[in-house]
Amino acid sequence: MVRSSPGLLRALTAGVAAALVLAACGTNTTSSGPSGGSGGTTGQGQPGGTIFILSQAEQWDQVDPQRAYTGEDLAFFGATIYRSLVAYKYSADPVEGTSLVPDLATDLGTHNDDATQWSFTLRDGATFQDGSPVTCEDVKYGTSRTFATDVINQGPTYQIAYLDIPTDKDGSSAYKGPYKKTGQDLYDKAVTCDGNTITFNLNKPVPDFNYTTTLGFSPVPKDADTGETYGDNPVSSGPYQIDSYETGNGGKMILVRNPNWNKDSDTYRKAYPDRWEVDFGIDPKVMDQRLMQSTGDDATAIQYGNVQPENLATIFTDPKTTAPQFAGRATSDYDPYSLYLWVNVQKVPNVKIRQAMAVALDRQALRLNAGGAFAGDLADGVIKPNIGQDYAPTGMWTDMFGQAVPDNGDPELAKKLIQDSGEAAPTVQYDYPQTPTNDKSAAIVKDSLEKAGFTVKPNPIEPGVYYSVVFDPKKAGEFGSGGWGADWPNASTVIPPLFTQKGGWDLSEVDDPDFNAQVEDAQTELDRAAQAKKWQDLNKLAMQNVYVIPTRFGLTQTIAGDKVQPTYQWPAYGSWPYAEMYVTQ
Amino acid sequence: MVAYLIRRVLGMILLLFLLSLTVFFLFNMLPGDPARLTCGKACSPQIIEANRHRLGLDEPPLTQYTKFITGIFAGRTFSPDSPQPIECPAPCLGYSFLRRETVGSLIARSAPVTFWLAVGAFLLWLLMGISLGIYAALHRGRWQDRLVMGVSLVGYSLPSFFFGLVLIFFVIIKMGWLPFPDYVSPFENPVQFFQTMILPWIVLAILYAAFYMRLTRNQVLEVLNDDYVRTARSKGLPERVVVVKHALRAGLTPIVTSAGLDLAGLLGGAIISENIFSLPGLGSLAVTSVINADLPVITGLTLLTAGLIIFMNLIVDLLYAVIDPRVRVA
Amino acid sequence: MIPATATQERPFLTVNDLSVAFPTEDGLVRAVDGVSFTLEKGKTLAVVGESGSGKSVTAQAVMGLINRKAAHIGGEIWLDGQDLLAMTPAEVQDLRGNELAMIFQDPMSSLHPFYRIGDQIIEAIRVHRKISKAAARQETLDMLRHVGIPAVERRIDAYPHQLSGGMRQRVMIAMALINSPQLLIADEPTTALDVTVQAQILELIQRLQGEFGTTVILITHDLGIVADVADDVAVMYGGRIVEKASTGILYDQPEMPYTLGLLSSIPRMDRALTDRLDPIKGNPPSPINLPKGCVFQPRCKYWEMVPNGECKTVRPELLPSGPDHLVRCLLPTETRHQIARDVMQNLSGAVK
Repeated sequence: MVRSSPGLLRALTAGVAAALVLAACGTNTTSSGPSGGSGGTTGQGQPGGTIFILSQAEQWDQVDPQRAYTGEDLAFFGATIYRSLVAYKYSADPVEGTSLVPDLATDLGTHNDDATQWSFTLRDGATFQDGSPVTCEDVKYGTSRTFATDVINQGPTYQIAYLDIPTDKDGSSAYKGPYKKTGQDLYDKAVTCDGNTITFNLNKPVPDFNYTTTLGFSPVPKDADTGETYGDNPVSSGPYQIDSYETGNGGKMILVRNPNWNKDSDTYRKAYPDRWEVDFGIDPKVMDQRLMQSTGDDATAIQYGNVQPENLATIFTDPKTTAPQFAGRATSDYDPYSLYLWVNVQKVPNVKIRQAMAVALDRQALRLNAGGAFAGDLADGVIKPNIGQDYAPTGMWTDMFGQAVPDNGDPELAKKLIQDSGEAAPTVQYDYPQTPTNDKSAAIVKDSLEKAGFTVKPNPIEPGVYYSVVFDPKKAGEFGSGGWGADWPNASTVIPPLFTQKGGWDLSEVDDPDFNAQVEDAQTELDRAAQAKKWQDLNKLAMQNVYVIPTRFGLTQTIAGDKVQPTYQWPAYGSWPYAEMYVTQ
Repeated sequence: MVAYLIRRVLGMILLLFLLSLTVFFLFNMLPGDPARLTCGKACSPQIIEANRHRLGLDEPPLTQYTKFITGIFAGRTFSPDSPQPIECPAPCLGYSFLRRETVGSLIARSAPVTFWLAVGAFLLWLLMGISLGIYAALHRGRWQDRLVMGVSLVGYSLPSFFFGLVLIFFVIIKMGWLPFPDYVSPFENPVQFFQTMILPWIVLAILYAAFYMRLTRNQVLEVLNDDYVRTARSKGLPERVVVVKHALRAGLTPIVTSAGLDLAGLLGGAIISENIFSLPGLGSLAVTSVINADLPVITGLTLLTAGLIIFMNLIVDLLYAVIDPRVRVA
Repeated sequence: MIPATATQERPFLTVNDLSVAFPTEDGLVRAVDGVSFTLEKGKTLAVVGESGSGKSVTAQAVMGLINRKAAHIGGEIWLDGQDLLAMTPAEVQDLRGNELAMIFQDPMSSLHPFYRIGDQIIEAIRVHRKISKAAARQETLDMLRHVGIPAVERRIDAYPHQLSGGMRQRVMIAMALINSPQLLIADEPTTALDVTVQAQILELIQRLQGEFGTTVILITHDLGIVADVADDVAVMYGGRIVEKASTGILYDQPEMPYTLGLLSSIPRMDRALTDRLDPIKGNPPSPINLPKGCVFQPRCKYWEMVPNGECKTVRPELLPSGPDHLVRCLLPTETRHQIARDVMQNLSGAVK
């Protein structure tokens, strides 16, 4: 999630870290729900035909199962070529759509009392595309690849974080992966195979470890592993296999049926179309027009990306409702991201000053600049409502600072907070990835903070290198734009990465022993309801300390041709429900 | 002449070498750590370090540069710790870990697309620009002249992305006269090739033709007042011969210069047209690489584009000699 | 009475009341206004004047080189019984380079720099006569030899920049004469050349004129080179002929103050070095805003000698002042003669 996928231009320019899995349970009040309530699952699925995916991106971010980490990569390849131990259920419902169902495993996994040991039993009959059975050893081998950090990069690294393997002095795992084989015995102790049962020994309690196994735990046959280039020729365990893949503008990926896929072993994937064709490098404006027109092949095409702002008013009557002529084939729903301005607590150590910044910010103007109501709801924290039970309103803008803060900021309250801080209003540098929209946002940030007495120096950064600059403590400014999406429906994939040094996305440079201890406590809490309460409290605490100034819970609009169903945003990945889709007659 | 050519080519090589040095070290000083960029979530210092090693960035810049240059002549191997390392045979310009392809193969894949796009558009715009420019010059000050100049102004100020989109909407989406652009080699499927290229050619040609109309018109008008044109008339030559053989040829030099440099620029990639029409050319490759800070590709493309421009300058100089005997080397 | 045919009555070249005006953004430029003259076959007329006097425009009008769409052309130009101004542009184009030929001031810029000189002459032949390239090349070689170019076999394939100025003008002359024109217009043919070469070129023109029986109009700003070459001289000023006479008369008994000024400004070998040239003060009039009266009046030293300041209000006519002598001047004839005598004496008085 750290890096932006090459294709996810929108995410990049919004300053969002590339997304990932998301969860939604319960209170998805703003979202239009499945296709604005009018789309969905009309008729019965039937085999045959080709579904086209029109993509502005020029390639998939990663095809390698241990390196795939963006929501779209995981959703599409999980539906077509990679099986995993467990997977998210296909449903438009925010709760169901982020709940787990067994895939390669016979159940959702079992763990010991303190959740430090998890076991999964593989079902019989699952095969690779060459017909050989998927074994426990293949899952174990696939999982081990993540440890070869000098070859297999960019993927999720929960294996390294959670498996019970000692670390070297420099903090890296003593196991160096299956290529160097250094520390192989340590790995073999941490992950064991007993017949069809794979057991993971963890270094701490991980109550939601089965969710973790949706990320990078897919089987890879050892003999076929070419390392760096495995993604060019991966071995499919799903209903399709790669027929051809050419990256770049005008490039294509074509998937055809995998003759050795055993349908009886896979109740999860419907595998309706005979063929998938991904067309890369389509201009987004052209893409919208093609899908709105929906003639020829475009009738069975779906959009990888978003509807352009200028077409929103044509396709939707409001952020919750699809216009009649596009009913049943356009969606407007929460995407996985929370957007915020991170505030570097090392450079702005006085909490009152940080609070003054938050209070002064004109969040309404920022949202308007991003597209208004279609761009999302004003946020009150980093945990997004579509994550489910871990979300609770933080009260940040209602009573946290003693009084309600209007959406367009309260410079007077900010001035008062500055006075309380005992310091003068500082000069602060605002980092952002430079795009025309972000330039305007920076002007809004500057204007609203300067009304409260701050001096703001906007610092535009080349979008391609933005995150590598702001992660360098020497180069980062006092605050800047950022974004994050949860990896699975548990705020354990939100609060720790954002606000602890070990987390990996701590742009705020928070390193508070007390906060760390509370995070540790929440992570290992076995009672899910109690854990949810702890995340809610930590979210609120982080806002009180203004580690970030939350700005927006993002909303995304997509459209499909009129001969492909079902069309809803799958809450698990904020994507189309690929494995359920079919061509209508 | 041969000695002159050898001198020029040697100069070109030296220039490219200096350029590669500059580009290499310039890119090394850019803010942002490529190892951090292509690291991953939960990017611990250890993983960044491993990634740095994988990318070959853990060595001093001079060593990196030496390897880069050596790679051009002897080839290189990337990701040495992978069970199947990546072989990049000479002339190796580097490897894009992002695209999982050698820079050479990326360029070799993209260059023909841009080549056909550029050359087709080039011929079209020269034809339109020069003939309409002459036409306007011959009707100077009259409505034909004003019409051509008006069209040129419109073409000049027409944003090509807008014009391209309009063409796609009407010709492809609404009318269905052409299929969606889907590039194939002209040797593989000439019909589909032309169907794909015709709109981008028109868009680019109109953009450039506008300038060449003006240039040609002004050149011809200027030259039409020259003494040798009066001489040609006084010989009783028909106006057509006077304009084309005598006036145009004399006014050709700036047109050739512009055309050479425009073609060189276009051969480096036509960003907007390539993106609108989903053409996998050098322009779209460049944009993607810049957005993703894909340094090996950017370096390779920079050198390629610079080489093209230097090469085109040589061609233009040689063309001068063909056009104008006075600049021929004795 | 038997009606006479036009050809019998008219001289070889008759220019009658020729006027050329160019509309510009600043106003109408009256470059030539009411110019008339005649020229017998085989004779040479020198047209003399400063730049802007209209002499070159007159020549180009005769050649049909003035774009009729860009200028108002009035009057008649009869050449060998045909009115050139009544012909279509295509018909005049056929005559150009064939019956009518022209050579220009600067042989460097007048030859196309990108083509071999031989090819440029061959082109002139083959546009009018359907003969083979080889024959045209042979003819070109002969003509180049005839105009005095050495080593023609080699020079024929040279580019203009490879030749000296004199050689280039010989090439221009060869090109002009290649189709045996009846009328040759030489527009300042020696101005751009070295003094020593000037004489050679003039001699060459004269010699060839004799050989081919060509009629010549020699256009120059330099009265000095005219004396030995021309049969008649027309002096132009402000788009008009202000004095016209046979060469002898003009040199011996000039009358118009402008002609006197021109004669005074001729550099002469027999003049003392200290005795500076005596150029006419002031500038030629703007062809857009010509003076109401005599166009020369603002620069004329003698206009106050005309009663009532008529020079400022009355346009003088070109009137006979003697046999073969036309003058455009308001000064009384006697006064004119007196002034002329004084000036001429002054000039010869300078002779040592």
